[in-house]
Amino acid sequence: MLEAKGLSVKINGIPVVTNSSFFIPEGKITAMIGESGSGKSMTVAALLRMLPAGALASGEIRFMGTDLLKATNEEMAVLRKKEFFTIFQDALNSFNPSVKMDRQLYAFSAGRVGDDQESFRKKMKAILGKLSLSAEILNQYPFELSGGMLQRCMIACALYVKRALLIADEPTSALDKVVQKEFLKWLRLLNESGTTVLIITHDLDVVADVADEMIVMRKGEIVETGAVADVLARPTHEYTKRLLDSRF
Amino acid sequence: MTVKWIGKRMMLGALVLFIVSFLSFFIMHASPGSSATAYYGGNAQTLTTAEKERISEAFALDRPLIVQYGAWLKQTVQGNLGVSAKEGRPVASILGERLPNTLLLFGVSMFFIIIGSIWLGMTAGMRPGSLLDRGLSAFSIASSSIPAFWLGILFIYLFAVTLGVLPSSGTGSLGGDGGFVDKIKHLIMPASVVVLTHVGLYARFLQESVKAEIGSYYVMAARANGVEEREIRRGVLRNAFIPYLNYLGVTIPSFFGGSVIVEALFAWSGLGQLLVKSVMVKDYPLLMGGIMLTGLIVVVSLFAIDVLMYTLDPKLRKGELGG
Repeated sequence: MLEAKGLSVKINGIPVVTNSSFFIPEGKITAMIGESGSGKSMTVAALLRMLPAGALASGEIRFMGTDLLKATNEEMAVLRKKEFFTIFQDALNSFNPSVKMDRQLYAFSAGRVGDDQESFRKKMKAILGKLSLSAEILNQYPFELSGGMLQRCMIACALYVKRALLIADEPTSALDKVVQKEFLKWLRLLNESGTTVLIITHDLDVVADVADEMIVMRKGEIVETGAVADVLARPTHEYTKRLLDSRF
Repeated sequence: MTVKWIGKRMMLGALVLFIVSFLSFFIMHASPGSSATAYYGGNAQTLTTAEKERISEAFALDRPLIVQYGAWLKQTVQGNLGVSAKEGRPVASILGERLPNTLLLFGVSMFFIIIGSIWLGMTAGMRPGSLLDRGLSAFSIASSSIPAFWLGILFIYLFAVTLGVLPSSGTGSLGGDGGFVDKIKHLIMPASVVVLTHVGLYARFLQESVKAEIGSYYVMAARANGVEEREIRRGVLRNAFIPYLNYLGVTIPSFFGGSVIVEALFAWSGLGQLLVKSVMVKDYPLLMGGIMLTGLIVVVSLFAIDVLMYTLDPKLRKGELGG
């Protein structure tokens, strides 16, 4: 589905991701784990081609035959709209505070697939119900909802558009344990409906709970990859072992 | 918009006018010289002490200041602004003659400042790092640094003296028909000076506000999800407009005060010029009336801005910001 070869990212000449190669298999949930500053979010920014000012990526990221680092801005805009769905850590700030939720959810979902308002409302209400959210939220503003509810709204949009790849950058770190568990349940639901998932996290419990494959990053480099069950049972890199030790 | 909210704003406006009137009244009476001077007309040197005392007594100027203020406040609340000490005519009719000119200069200048700053600020803010972005920053510094009187003199020299295309001063030509075209010709230079010395600062404020919004988390999330750029921009502009309106509201009083200089420079027969003359001759009834009318215009402008902000900002509507 997605393969990176020799990916490097430098910010103002300083390397933050170095010669990283990894593979995201189709239909699976792959977790990218590592401590803060290990280069996980920068890797995501590189594959979305949304690097901050002064950052430069080199190497290759292939998605369905397209090298994302060489794609034109127009091609990337189409990929982001038609193939990816991205959820960020801060759900509260992921929505415009002055715009009602119905308009924003429409833009994040129905607007991307060309549905009209009527079918959007019908479908979205059904999905919100599935996620234990009242349709009332459509008439509310983001600041009237909790972080957990807003993260569920993002999942609702992801369920609506059912894109090939869902990228979730630290989606659970701002959620309490109960909401986190539920969020992971919906993530699995989404995966079961055919969406490949790349989840970025620093929480090993999240990895163990939801992921099939894992990529361990440290100081901008990939130190270990493999099936979650294998890596957790037989870690080979010292950093992974330390990570596992710190879990208990 | 709730009746409660409107009522609250109107009460606040009335309170502001009361404080302005109280401070103005006592500050002007604290200035050196007798408040009866204007009533003496050209006879100040020849009047005897007894005659001066009679004048003070006739106009109740011998009473304690707080009593004088109370009497002024009572008649003002009843809609009577009193009689000009210098001209002997009702203050309301003198102000009524000047008000249209001030409203014309203020309204036209404000219109072009708002239109110009919105267009410049939004266009430049949407293109960070562009030539327009950098150019507007430079223009803003120049616009806010140039003194209005200097630009006014330059305009008079250029367009009135050298080119002879615009009248140098006044609100209408001597012997002219006082028609619309003549009025506009006289308005062009003072309004241009007010606009050019203010538009850059307002545009820069909006530009920075748009740039801050463009860098917001929600814009990143929307772009990462391929939300239409038009939809993103609409939200960005709406949010950037809220602090801009706030800034406009905060600066309107000083903007209004600054136009006094322009009125004086171009002999624009407005309230500003009238107020300056009233101070010179100690015509306190006229001065108080002028201050109250100016204050009322500012309060009404601020109310209009509050209504706009209320409409744009849902947090204000939902009472999250104590609105």
